[in-house]
Amino acid sequence: MEISFAKQIQQLKLGEGDVFHGEGILAITKALLQSGVSYIGGYQGAPVSHLLDVMVQARELVGELGVQVEACSNEASAAAMLGASIHYPVRGAVTWKSIVGTNVAADALANLSSPGVTGGVLMVIGEDYGEGASVVQERTHAYAMKSCMLLLDPRPELSVMVDMVEHAFAMSEASNMPAMMELRIRACHVRGSFVCKDNRTAKVSTKSLMAEPAAFDYSRLAHPPVTFAHEKRKLEHRIPAARQYILEHQLNEIFSGQHDSVGIIVQGGLSNALLRSLQQFGLADAFGETQVPLLVLNVTYPLVPDQIADFVHNKKAVLVLEEGAPEYIEQEIATLLNRRDLPTRLHGKDMLPAAGELTPEIMMGGLQQFFARHLPNIDGVGVKLVLDATVTRRNSMASSLDQTLPARPPGFCIGCPERPVFSALKLAQKEVGEVHIAADIGCHSFATFEPFSMGHSILGYGMSLASRAGVSPMMQRRVLSIMGDGGFWHNGLLTGVQSALFNGDDAVLLIFKNGYTSATGTQDIISTPTSASKTQAHDKLASLTANNRTIEDTLKGIGVQWMRTVHSYRVATMRDVLKEALTTDFNGLKVIIAEGECQLERQRRIRPWLADLLTRGQRVMRVKYGVDEDVCNGDHACIRLSACPTLTLKDNPDPLKVDPVATVLDGCVGCGLCGENAHAATLCPSFYRAEIIQNGHWHEKLLASLRRLMLRWVQPA
Amino acid sequence: MSLNTVMNSSTATPRPLSVLICALGGEGGGVLSDWLMEIARKAGYAAQATSIPGVAQRTGATTYFFELYPVPVAQLAGRKPVFSLNPIPGSLDVVIASELLEAARCASNGLPSSDRTVFITSTSRTFTTAERTAMGDGRLDSAALLALVQAVSRVHHALDMQRVATDNSTAVSAVMLGALAASGVLPLDRSICEEVIREGGRGAQASLQGFAAAWQMITQTKLQAEQAQLLVNLIDDSEKKLPELAGFPIQINDMLRLGWLRVTEYQDRAYGKLYLSRVRSLLDAEHRADADALHGMQLTREVSRWLALWMSFDDIVRVADLKSRAARTERVRREVKIKSGDVLAVYEHFKPGVPEIAGLLPKPIADRLLAWDQQRIAEGREPWAMPIKLASHTVVGTLLLRLLATFKYIRPFSSRYAEEQALIEEWLKAVTAGLAEDWQLGYELALCGRLMKGYGETNHRGRDNLLHVIRHVANDEHTTATARAAAIRRAREAALTDEAGSQLDRVLKELGAPPRPIKAQPIRWMPRIRNS
Repeated sequence: MEISFAKQIQQLKLGEGDVFHGEGILAITKALLQSGVSYIGGYQGAPVSHLLDVMVQARELVGELGVQVEACSNEASAAAMLGASIHYPVRGAVTWKSIVGTNVAADALANLSSPGVTGGVLMVIGEDYGEGASVVQERTHAYAMKSCMLLLDPRPELSVMVDMVEHAFAMSEASNMPAMMELRIRACHVRGSFVCKDNRTAKVSTKSLMAEPAAFDYSRLAHPPVTFAHEKRKLEHRIPAARQYILEHQLNEIFSGQHDSVGIIVQGGLSNALLRSLQQFGLADAFGETQVPLLVLNVTYPLVPDQIADFVHNKKAVLVLEEGAPEYIEQEIATLLNRRDLPTRLHGKDMLPAAGELTPEIMMGGLQQFFARHLPNIDGVGVKLVLDATVTRRNSMASSLDQTLPARPPGFCIGCPERPVFSALKLAQKEVGEVHIAADIGCHSFATFEPFSMGHSILGYGMSLASRAGVSPMMQRRVLSIMGDGGFWHNGLLTGVQSALFNGDDAVLLIFKNGYTSATGTQDIISTPTSASKTQAHDKLASLTANNRTIEDTLKGIGVQWMRTVHSYRVATMRDVLKEALTTDFNGLKVIIAEGECQLERQRRIRPWLADLLTRGQRVMRVKYGVDEDVCNGDHACIRLSACPTLTLKDNPDPLKVDPVATVLDGCVGCGLCGENAHAATLCPSFYRAEIIQNGHWHEKLLASLRRLMLRWVQPA
Repeated sequence: MSLNTVMNSSTATPRPLSVLICALGGEGGGVLSDWLMEIARKAGYAAQATSIPGVAQRTGATTYFFELYPVPVAQLAGRKPVFSLNPIPGSLDVVIASELLEAARCASNGLPSSDRTVFITSTSRTFTTAERTAMGDGRLDSAALLALVQAVSRVHHALDMQRVATDNSTAVSAVMLGALAASGVLPLDRSICEEVIREGGRGAQASLQGFAAAWQMITQTKLQAEQAQLLVNLIDDSEKKLPELAGFPIQINDMLRLGWLRVTEYQDRAYGKLYLSRVRSLLDAEHRADADALHGMQLTREVSRWLALWMSFDDIVRVADLKSRAARTERVRREVKIKSGDVLAVYEHFKPGVPEIAGLLPKPIADRLLAWDQQRIAEGREPWAMPIKLASHTVVGTLLLRLLATFKYIRPFSSRYAEEQALIEEWLKAVTAGLAEDWQLGYELALCGRLMKGYGETNHRGRDNLLHVIRHVANDEHTTATARAAAIRRAREAALTDEAGSQLDRVLKELGAPPRPIKAQPIRWMPRIRNS
């Protein structure tokens, strides 16, 4: 990737007593180094990408500490890496986005948790839940419960998060359970500060190698019959050990308060929102001093029954604030109260919505009900007024508009090489008819939004080709599967291509070869253009993806017989190849590779180069497209075919006409799609391509001046 | 600022100040958060920022949330304020939005409130895909969006942040910081803000300029009214008279003048006179239908607009003319921001097909040419077309365009010309007939002139829809004129919503009108040979 994390890497080098200022996920990364990890792995994804991105670039630091950093090919591969800690006293950390990443990793996690770990293991999980989420809304919590892993949900305060990382390793070692730490989006991106410790070098590392492998020990295998014993150990030894650690080190925080007839049990990650909500009732001050007793669960699995029983002792009622469904914590507490015959009344999802984020607004609503029932002396009227006023405002806003405000989902970047392919697909479908499109995860899933609205299903990362296996045999027309190069390497090659070939399926696969796993943050993959090819490139402006043919070679090697590589900006060619693939007599797997370098990365690559050329007074050509406002017919067919952010509208300068005309904004990177579409779709002739040459040769300038002079004779006003 | 204003009555300690930043991906919201954190640190305040960033991609809506405790850390005796990661309803002190729709979206979620929130919004719009892809004008009304924002503001500032950013060659984040600092809600000292920007290194000078410009605009409150005024579009209201237009009522004068100029410039004065005589006959018809001018000549006014546009129908001759004028060259140079010493090359994307060329030829030849193309299509081949990238910056390129532009003299003999005139007459006849029955019916038919525009497929689609409305919806004898007027309006609006015409088909079905004829299209069979 072309982004530099040099600044962040400096922060990772801070020592004892230094103050770190920065983002939550970076603080976690620093905490890993302070905990003496031997290896770090993972698969990128919002909101935890930066952990791995920074470590991959921090070669010097990593070398000093002897840490092995592995950019794994998927989450299963990252989880399997943790197997190192089964036998050996090495601490390891991996990261990925949940719930999807945990799903992919699930098999390895089960087989890791069964024998248990010797060295501490921590998974930093981006809990991509609620506002801004890009995955299905499920809880990672279920995995901790079913596989018997520790789950930490720290208070979103950098110093607490950092402490919890260190405790997670120690607790993992004390209990032999792998630990997970779930971080919500806002917690990953929270900017704050904490006081650092020195980074620790591990006893076993890439600098200090183990001489011998561990002795053979069948009980360390997730293989029957020892798995039966593992199950017993989990329940009889490991969970009790974890509970003891939690109590001894006071990982869960208890805050007392004067209103001790009630209490609130809250996931650590939600505690700030709770304190600010209590503040609205006048029950907490700005520094978190609360008047209602709180039990803040920085560890949400396992719970500590004695701790909870102590907390609810002599309380009329407690409220559990737990995000997402099902409400595992609340259910476990209910069981506990029942088994121990405790009279405390339990509330939770009866006063809060079952689904969705617990924002302060939602929390305030639940607290208001809880206090009204159990602390009638508390004046909740003010809060109720605020909440009602908010709803009133919302409703009056909605009714004052005669339409709902249009959504603004993310879309293809300016000049994205994927957009032209969907333009071509739109055109191809006009001729061969609509086809079933098995979509996938990646930037290309933006084609599911307007104006393309393409894609019938998304079954997971790299799953498009596999997800068509039951559809295409039932369909008169061929089915098109779309996959990015990220998804292809993540698992599409095996689940899709191999399966389709083995079964002799009639399938069409379109692979976007843009050179990076772009949607997750443009990380490098095995088919990324090498740095050597970047520096040696004669024409730096050209797409460099063609220099790496790993995908093509792999497909050829596995036995794909029909393969076409098309430059993605050649709309007419792409349309024709799509038509061919959808109608050819060849009945096997047909693969189209749409080649074009990720524009984000290309711009990051060429901008400094161009700036340098300009400062040195060398010749540079810039391309921009434009629309003739008096020729544009205001129909916007061009936008419906492209939706490039820089192809937008402006008022019609012609007072006779009422419809706005298309216009190209300054951000245009001159990708050429407008011109390609104008030709491929026979759009109106209003597009022009302008090539602007800075620091041109003297003869170019002379010719241009002569031309301008002569054009004055030819052109009317 | 005084501490009293931020006192929370129930706890008697100040509460944190909350700022919600609404931006679009790629606008530098992250940079702004970093700046704010650094400024707070330098100024000695505890603060926290977080975000819901879009994915790496541009244009998605993103929000950033910033909280600052307005008592210096030094005076807190080691106590740490607890900050929230989410806004508290009704407790937002500042909302700042870099785009007007995002401001309105934030306003409509109910979180800001008129008793507390200082709302700083940009008046600039980045149109959403839905707005851009409409076949007519799908843009939201900016004034309505601004009104939403004002309704939930204690204090409201509006400025065109994009323009300020562009004028100062900087990113919108610097402009937002200037506006935020100038609003005076946060204890942000200007000199510290500028110091932090300066430490940013590259681009700092431009950022400082953008910061200063926004600061100045916010501190001069008059801008709000000025900016709101800018949102109202102005239309040419020149009073100049032309002798040919004598005798027409004053209410339609402006439109008629524009129409006359357009038509004569398109062809010649004789064609202009044809235009005026057509308008005249409609005017007479409207006089008969609305003798008291209750509708203020609205129908004739609209007819003079759409008639002028239809009579100056787009063809390659017209395009060649427009693209080879000196004013156009200057416009392109302006649009691509050419600097002195730069060399500019301009290429025109054309793809004339058989219909475009046939349109210029007399009918017998045109028909044969079209038949040949139809034959090709029937054989499953592509319709013939010639993609051209014409270099209009060269002398030869411009001469070619000028040559093509002179074809306007043979235009009146072309098949397209004859066809358009016949259709225009059919439309005008339908309007006149509608007018005789009911003014509203005539008016709705007149507005259907809007369906005609563009080239090629766009043009054909509009024409087919217009003819279908005229021939079937307007002539439905079983319903009253009022009902038909309403039906025509619905059909017209539906015709402008989607390309495939599915909305129009739905409306036609509901109205009981005959469906649009299905167009012949070669079908490609895909026999599935299954491996057994």
